[in-house]
Amino acid sequence: MRYFILLLICMLLAACGKPVSHEEIRMALAQAPINLDPRYASDAASERINHLIYRPLVDFDANSRPQPALAAWQMLSPTHYRFTLLPERALFHDGSTLDAGDVAATYNSLRALKDSPHTAEFANIRQVSALDENTVEFVLQADDDMFPSRLIIGILPAEKIAAGHDFSRQPVGNGPLRFVSWQRSVRLERVSDRQRFSLQEVRDPTVRVLKLLRGEVDLLQGDLPPELVKYLRRQPGIRLSEVEGSNYSYLGFNLEDTQLSKPEVRRAIAHAIDRKAILQEVLVGGSREAAAILPPGHWAGHRTLAPYEYDPALARALLQHAGIALPLKLVYKTSTDAQRVRLATVMQAQMREAGIQLEIRSLDWGTFFDDVKHGKFQLYGLTWVGIRTPEIYRLAFHSASVPPAGANRGRYEDATTDRLIEAADWQAVSERVHQMLPYVPLWYEGQFVAMRSDLSGYSLKPDGSWDGLATVNKRSKKEMKPQS
Amino acid sequence: MLKRLLGVVPVVFGVLLLTFLLVHLVPGDPVEVMLGESASSADRSQLRAELGLDRPIHVQFGAYLGRLAQGDFGHSIHTRAPVSQMLAERLPATMRLALLALAIAIAIGLPLGIIAALRANRWPDKLATFSSLTLSAMPHFWLGPLLMMVFALWLGWLPVSGMDSAGSIVLPALTLGFGLSAILTRMTRASLLEVLNEDFVRTARAKGLPERQVILGHALRAGLLPVVTIVGLQLGSLLAGTVITETVFGWDGIGRLLVESIEKRDYPVTQACVLVIALIYVLVNLFTDLLYTQLDPRVRYSR
Repeated sequence: MRYFILLLICMLLAACGKPVSHEEIRMALAQAPINLDPRYASDAASERINHLIYRPLVDFDANSRPQPALAAWQMLSPTHYRFTLLPERALFHDGSTLDAGDVAATYNSLRALKDSPHTAEFANIRQVSALDENTVEFVLQADDDMFPSRLIIGILPAEKIAAGHDFSRQPVGNGPLRFVSWQRSVRLERVSDRQRFSLQEVRDPTVRVLKLLRGEVDLLQGDLPPELVKYLRRQPGIRLSEVEGSNYSYLGFNLEDTQLSKPEVRRAIAHAIDRKAILQEVLVGGSREAAAILPPGHWAGHRTLAPYEYDPALARALLQHAGIALPLKLVYKTSTDAQRVRLATVMQAQMREAGIQLEIRSLDWGTFFDDVKHGKFQLYGLTWVGIRTPEIYRLAFHSASVPPAGANRGRYEDATTDRLIEAADWQAVSERVHQMLPYVPLWYEGQFVAMRSDLSGYSLKPDGSWDGLATVNKRSKKEMKPQS
Repeated sequence: MLKRLLGVVPVVFGVLLLTFLLVHLVPGDPVEVMLGESASSADRSQLRAELGLDRPIHVQFGAYLGRLAQGDFGHSIHTRAPVSQMLAERLPATMRLALLALAIAIAIGLPLGIIAALRANRWPDKLATFSSLTLSAMPHFWLGPLLMMVFALWLGWLPVSGMDSAGSIVLPALTLGFGLSAILTRMTRASLLEVLNEDFVRTARAKGLPERQVILGHALRAGLLPVVTIVGLQLGSLLAGTVITETVFGWDGIGRLLVESIEKRDYPVTQACVLVIALIYVLVNLFTDLLYTQLDPRVRYSR
């Protein structure tokens, strides 16, 4: 036994050591990517990494207007678009050139897939063809004024598509970062200066913070509770940046519920939530009140809609006017995410003031989302992430978008809203939705990045993308030594 | 012995059947997870047919058994990677962690338990009892970050988490080992105290054997029998993956793979993980039983 203990102690001591210094930049992720093939990727981590590895035809400016990324376009008719590749495009990371044939091959392969979450988005395409090396044409079945905004899938090399290359684990694109390997962490390399990156999953928020403090990772972005963000702000050697976010959090109603089908009840609930207090106490900096899905800075966003004010007395009066016997008992469904449960608990306490008794049901993600899609809820809370086009209104509120045909999960049916959506009058749609309240708008959650002080040049985006990795720099050990 | 071995078959079949039913009956449709909310009903139906999910559940179960018989665990619905490859990547990590945690637990728990029994109701016993109760009362999600704070952040001896260096295994192993050592301490103490009052121990002492030989050669051998059972059971659960510890420490083991697959409704991965975990449990218990027969000749499974 004594030798066994000695051996064990030796093993443990041998394993001890200081952290190895790295020149690569290491980022801690709350969730690892699932699939790096842009034709399949739908989780946030995969999409954010893919945006660095691949380049799409079209990207968005700061106001979410579509702008040329790889190609400029011409609308020949609402069903006919011509894209011309820009001359200054980069080579694919395998050294091959990117031409119109690659664009056509990417979109044709995507349309042929039977198991991709993105295929349906392109069901309107009748034909994609490369006219020459630099020109590709899309012919649609029905008019679509916003078609260019849909072409945000990264372009893949045609040769590799034909060979059945596994892009999900070995992506090849022509973006600013090239793929190196994917074992436990995803390793990338910046094409311009060969700066290496390691993106590793660290699920526990406290552990992410500890790793940052000890120098095992160099930066982390988002996905921390506010108390840890406040803690990090006080730590020497750590820099924290925040920007206003654009991801929209809301509280969804089931409009088929007898009580919630009454507009006064929905308005009462909207007035029963003290968003200002939640923003101040429970959310990270950069978070702001929301009045509509698209933020005011979006080209189709509404600039003058005012959020519903917190007024529990008014909420109570509205409920009584609707003939509701108080307390109004409602069930609120949410995921098991600790921050979501905390927010639910705060709203539960606030609503009590207005005579609303909220029961919180916290369910695992699969069960929760399944219930939401199948209308098995009274109230639920979710966030729309990375919304770029006003088409979200069609997906979320058009009467033809009730699941499984779309994301009108609350079964909201309003002929006026449908008509405004079809007329693409987005300002009027925002106003109508704000008035009818199929959702209670809550907030746009702020974005933040925490970095070690030897990093610079990371630009933080409101949608929480990781595009800052294309510009971030790390001072080497030599640079950090004082000059003699 | 053959009877004992054959007893494994219905257990494994029962696990297969239950897992299959549970995985298919819980809310959440993998087709909807894969295709998102914009896909047409026709596309959903087609993919459901391609995955065989439109067939009656007993037909699906039969097909699943058929593939299993050929060693085919299928492919992950999300990553499209072969499930056998995913298991081969994760299982060794869990085994390394489990064995080191068990070694730590034995190294701490056994001596403490023996000392506590030999010095019953005196200060070493009280100290051992206090420390084992304290350790067993600490949940892993709390003890893990505490050890990180001390050994990684303050002392700087070990990495916080991950699997990048040799030292990465120490803190998760200590987290698991401390909790298990508390159980072993209590078990060893109780078992040894009982044995120390037995006639054969009194006889050994009456024969004039040195106390050390009485304890190590006679009392401990008999007293360790229940401890072996506990160690076997605990090893089974450690090898089955320790979800919380693996998650906190970023340890890519089978427990974490199982939880992730359940969250994503990745049926093939969930089923394979549960099957492997059940097999590990059964085999470790079988091994424990066999060891028992060696330690105690009175125990026999068949004549």
